[in-house]
Amino acid sequence: MKQIKRLFRMHRIFVVQELKRMTEYKGDFIVGVVGFLLAQVANLLFLWIIFTQVPDLMGWSMNEVVFIYGFSLIPKGLDHLLFDNLWNIGFFIVRKGDFDKYLTRPVDTLFHVMVEKLQIDAFGELLTGIALVCVTLPQLAISWSVLKVALALLVIPFCTLIYTGIKTITAAIAFWVKRSGNIIYMFYMVHDFAKYPVTIYNNAVRFVITYIIPFAFTAYFPAVYILRDENPLFCIGLTVLISAAVMALGIFVWHRGISAYESAGS
Amino acid sequence: MIHVEKLRKEFKKTIKDPGLKGSIKSLFHPKSEKVVAVKDISFDVPRGEILGFIGPNGAGKSTVIKMLTGILTPTSGVCTINGKNPRENRKSYVKEIGVVFGQRTQLWWDLPLRETYGVLKEMYEVPDDRYKKRMAFLNEVLELDSFITSPVRTLSLGQRMRADIAASLLHSPKVLFLDEPTIGLDVVVKDNIRKAIEHINREEQTTVILTTHDLADIELLSKRIVMIDKGSNVFDGAIADLKSKYGQMRELVFETDDPDPSETLGYCRHFNISEDDCTLECEGKRVKVRFNSASVPVSEMLSYTLAAVNVSDISVKDADIEEIIRRLYKGVDA
Repeated sequence: MKQIKRLFRMHRIFVVQELKRMTEYKGDFIVGVVGFLLAQVANLLFLWIIFTQVPDLMGWSMNEVVFIYGFSLIPKGLDHLLFDNLWNIGFFIVRKGDFDKYLTRPVDTLFHVMVEKLQIDAFGELLTGIALVCVTLPQLAISWSVLKVALALLVIPFCTLIYTGIKTITAAIAFWVKRSGNIIYMFYMVHDFAKYPVTIYNNAVRFVITYIIPFAFTAYFPAVYILRDENPLFCIGLTVLISAAVMALGIFVWHRGISAYESAGS
Repeated sequence: MIHVEKLRKEFKKTIKDPGLKGSIKSLFHPKSEKVVAVKDISFDVPRGEILGFIGPNGAGKSTVIKMLTGILTPTSGVCTINGKNPRENRKSYVKEIGVVFGQRTQLWWDLPLRETYGVLKEMYEVPDDRYKKRMAFLNEVLELDSFITSPVRTLSLGQRMRADIAASLLHSPKVLFLDEPTIGLDVVVKDNIRKAIEHINREEQTTVILTTHDLADIELLSKRIVMIDKGSNVFDGAIADLKSKYGQMRELVFETDDPDPSETLGYCRHFNISEDDCTLECEGKRVKVRFNSASVPVSEMLSYTLAAVNVSDISVKDADIEEIIRRLYKGVDA
């Protein structure tokens, strides 16, 4: 418990530090904020055009499809906002030997790396996601219960950890091969499939995004439960389990990787 | 305090033929060889000692330091500090040590220096009152006051190094690792940093492991050195021992009107010794002779020189540690 309190405290400190850093470069910060707002407006416009052309998709109404799309952006945005620094492990930190710093500090290295950066661009995804969910919800006939609201909220952090876990595993490969940025990218981009109902894909794709790179659990399966009350044990229960498993594997690979870390000459 | 036993580190190195063709070939048929960077090194460092850790570039110094600081995992062997092993509990181990890599900074680049200390305080769980006292002490020793509110990116190299040393000492570590703390600094700043290190060592009995290429650092700060080359320990002992073991070199300096003193004197011929034991440098009228007093006694050298050429302003000096190390490095290479 004390351990967890300390982690939250460290996290808060890093976040505050990041915010201070952003305000240190005011121009960059303001342009960044304006930039991502513009990008999101363009994004929404584009989505609107697509979805007004497609009335329904393999039995999914347009509203349901938009809901799944919007829901998928929330965990993606959270992971992007909070744990984006893992990309830098894959691209730079290990290769340049800058990982040394983390190893000389009395904080778990994975935790330290994950919380060190705050990626505010992610607010774009988050806001878009929340907006799409909010717009579509009233138009969908969903039977709400306290349990469902609770489960829907509870599942979001687990969906987020699926992203984080996959990034952790692929980033940690850098400890052996020095640079794994493109490996992270390859796996990460599979999430694009998860923005839509997985029933629209053929069996192979469906199998891969359900059981191999389980992005289907970041939006589609939770949405099936929320929208249609189908199989909560599978849709929510398995999401939690898979998320825990992916993250556990990530932590395991990470710590194995540290033993293989070779630093860089100085 | 620090116990290092048979520490060994092997790296796997991929061998590539030169050029793009070689790179592509190695992509499909990777060839690799085992490189032993550190070969079973052992040594002990008692509490409060400043150990000079030296060796030529690529000797394996950094690899040893990185194993001792928990950054690299040894292939075999153990290192412990106060009985703690970095492989067993890294977090508790690193609380005992402070690390400064001269070529890298651990400060938050974009923020005022003070922010870095604030974060480190939390990381190392330093209580408020101890933190205040500690900052006051570090301020006094390293004179951080004038730039503590400046963003780190604006600090000069000397300021940054002082700031980095302070950062590594914030949690009162028992062992301080300094990897080239004076690299790239001017004479005055170097001197300040050395004084600060000495002060901290005296005041708090902090054990210091110091690697440097500036032998003045070592001569001024440490009594004992460990020298490694090609991954092996080649010397471990007091600087005084090193001097007596390898340091029978003396330096004879004089001025003469002789047009070609090197030819006239011909030390090597006269004493029948090798070039290694006697070298001569001329700078205008000034002649500098480095010779091994074991093969030619100082008195003979002097009387021969005085008899052979017309000499003014003559002096004989002990060779400094730098000369000894130069010979050692050369000897090791050969």
